Amino acid sequence: MKLVRSIFLIAASAVAAVGFAPSLPAQVDDQVLVHPPANSWPGYHGDYSGRRHSSLTQIAPENVKNLSLAWAFQSNQTSLIKSSPLLADGILYFTVPENVWAVDARSGHQIWHYRHPRSSGEHIGHRGVAMYKGFLYFVTPDAHLVSLNAKDGTVRWNVEVADVNKGYWTSMAPLVVRNHVLVGVSGDFDNLNGYIRSIDAESGATQWQWDSTPPAGTPNQTTGGMTWMTGTYDPDLNLVYWGTGNPTPVLNGSTRPGDDLYTCSIVALNPDTGKLAWAFQVSPHDTHDWDAVETPVLVDADFHGEPKKMLMQTSRNGYFFVLDRTNGKNLLTVPYGPVNWALGVDKQGRPIPNPAKEPAPDGRIIAPDEGGLTNYRSPSFDTKNGLFIVDAHPSWSIYFAKPADGVYGWAGADYDVWGKGVLEAIDYQTGTIRWSHELGPEGSGAGVLTTDSGLTFTGDAMGNFLAIDSSNGKTLWHAGSGSVIVSSPTAYELDGRQYVLTSSGSVLFAWALPEK
Amino acid sequence: MTLQRVFLRFSLLLAASCLLRIGQGSAQTTTHKPQSSKASSPSAEKTYSPELVQKGKALFRQDCSFCHGRDATGGESGPDLTRSKLVAADVKGDKIGPVVRNGRLDKGMPPFDRSDDQIAALVAFIHTQRNAMSAAGLRGQGGRKGVDPSDLQTGNAEAGRQYFNGAGGCANCHSPTGDLAGIASRHQGLELEELMLYPTHAKSKVEVTLSSGQTLNGTLAYLDEFTIGLVDADGVYHSWRTADVHYKVDEAVNAHVDLFSKYTDDDIHNLMAYLQTLR
Repeated sequence: MKLVRSIFLIAASAVAAVGFAPSLPAQVDDQVLVHPPANSWPGYHGDYSGRRHSSLTQIAPENVKNLSLAWAFQSNQTSLIKSSPLLADGILYFTVPENVWAVDARSGHQIWHYRHPRSSGEHIGHRGVAMYKGFLYFVTPDAHLVSLNAKDGTVRWNVEVADVNKGYWTSMAPLVVRNHVLVGVSGDFDNLNGYIRSIDAESGATQWQWDSTPPAGTPNQTTGGMTWMTGTYDPDLNLVYWGTGNPTPVLNGSTRPGDDLYTCSIVALNPDTGKLAWAFQVSPHDTHDWDAVETPVLVDADFHGEPKKMLMQTSRNGYFFVLDRTNGKNLLTVPYGPVNWALGVDKQGRPIPNPAKEPAPDGRIIAPDEGGLTNYRSPSFDTKNGLFIVDAHPSWSIYFAKPADGVYGWAGADYDVWGKGVLEAIDYQTGTIRWSHELGPEGSGAGVLTTDSGLTFTGDAMGNFLAIDSSNGKTLWHAGSGSVIVSSPTAYELDGRQYVLTSSGSVLFAWALPEK
Repeated sequence: MTLQRVFLRFSLLLAASCLLRIGQGSAQTTTHKPQSSKASSPSAEKTYSPELVQKGKALFRQDCSFCHGRDATGGESGPDLTRSKLVAADVKGDKIGPVVRNGRLDKGMPPFDRSDDQIAALVAFIHTQRNAMSAAGLRGQGGRKGVDPSDLQTGNAEAGRQYFNGAGGCANCHSPTGDLAGIASRHQGLELEELMLYPTHAKSKVEVTLSSGQTLNGTLAYLDEFTIGLVDADGVYHSWRTADVHYKVDEAVNAHVDLFSKYTDDDIHNLMAYLQTLR
């Protein structure tokens, strides 16, 4: 069977090579990354802004009821697909832990499949690859960065990003800015410091490292601040924006008095030097595991009548933040669902944690739950309606910590009590929820994509893919997917045909209007 | 360091299982050989080869530890397996194996396609952890900790009784001599508190009216924007497009949701103290 498959693969690659060679445009380069053409999706978020908004209009509210399956790709793995497929030159690249596929974006057939040797480290999820000039960048559960030749999936080099034996792992899709491959790390079960590392796209050499927290063991200082999601980039300001995770020990803050910088923060870094331009902490002294790694979405628009370069985040802690991204100054802080852990908002726009809501031996009731009011699933900024659309998770939980739980790693216990999923369209100037759409009990893991035609694509808690009218939240199309959705949709155009790509369970689905 | 930890854990496990064997042996009547008592008790005292446990540990670390903790004592979202009833009842993977292979998608656990050998190794590791942790009263390092019934005794039962009958509105649906009679004998500690806050397994009743005017009643089995399904009194499943019928779901359980934003932490502790008097 393996032989049969290899023969098939060789044949497939040969066909692919013949098919693509004559009209091959440049692979992902600086120009494509800054201004992605409609026939590409060159990074985790698509373009650098993190808006996950497509300018495509062929699929529109008027015709979306005709949307049908163009193809499906079965990964034949039990790992759930969490990655956003990258698209370049008609080929999709996507992942689950230790696996990368190259798949023809027109037909959904496999071009190659790279399987990394089974490694130690957490295999909890994988968000996808990055690409630069014909090479892919892929992180592994044992915290290595592997560069693959996009042509055939062969390994070009493999470098260590963090020490798996200390408790680190990696799962994120790197961010490429020129020759910098920016990689973040994960690890909450040990008191470890978080960092972002810039790795040379050609050689694999480390260019710089920015530490979000001091080295482990520094007295009275926090560890943590893991950097496990892909940041965004403003080419004009030449600043990279990145969210950092919770402090450790996670639920017990006694050994890390104060704000615990730079955990639960949005930071702006110069990609050439790793120098910090500014930082804004969304959860000072967190004791609830509320990573601030949710997409820092970059929007240029009026804010109360004044043109602004903004950064917006629906944070896991339950607050929606709007910042001036030139300097990190706060423009708006407002909850977008039930929150009960803060005493108010300070002068800088940061929520003030209520000490009475820290985990306690007999338990504290807390909203939102540990998974947060949202999580790694992407939100979308709908430029047409000025709406920030997020798959929210109103939820309640109980948090415990006692001296016997110690001050290492988790250092307490918490339990989800109740939650549900609600798609919310937030007016970015006020935080008012313009419309909402129930997504079902427990909540949905689906991210959001909006399009210029006025459509919002997402999924519900029961595994239905949904197309929704961005202006009012009404469902216009749906399809049951047969499994849970824990990824964010993307869109592209090939041969004059628009595709919307979603995944559920271990299957990738491409949707399009019927061919004429 | 990792190697040391393994050895440490393994020696703890040996010590723990020896203690258990002694304890159980003395409780047995003397007609049984120690070997047969081993067979009759599901998992408590079975020991596994260090190689198998080590293999299971490596597999566990890759696929299970994020949710269940590196030591199987609980991680970011999954339960502490060393205190799990399912693990306690498992014999040679007969309970654990199907959960690993089928997952529990409703609870967010994906299926894992693992060979018999891999399952055997995981089972060996999980049981080994259970024996070591529960017998020695240990907690794993780094992962999520547990809650003991003794942690949940800070409330005032009389204040809880008043809240039950007054501000909480609990008495609108529940009765200490009716549905809650003996509740504290059936559920204890964290499990009781979780049930009190939100009864996850409560079934909702639903009434569906068809376009013909015919009405059907049953237990709600499925509901999304597009489809509603119920199981009728005979246990038969029926479903309709939501657009074609009118339906009314009995949402009594939502009274629990309404309370979340009203509770103080004291209310919860007092209510818990009161419920614990209902034995």
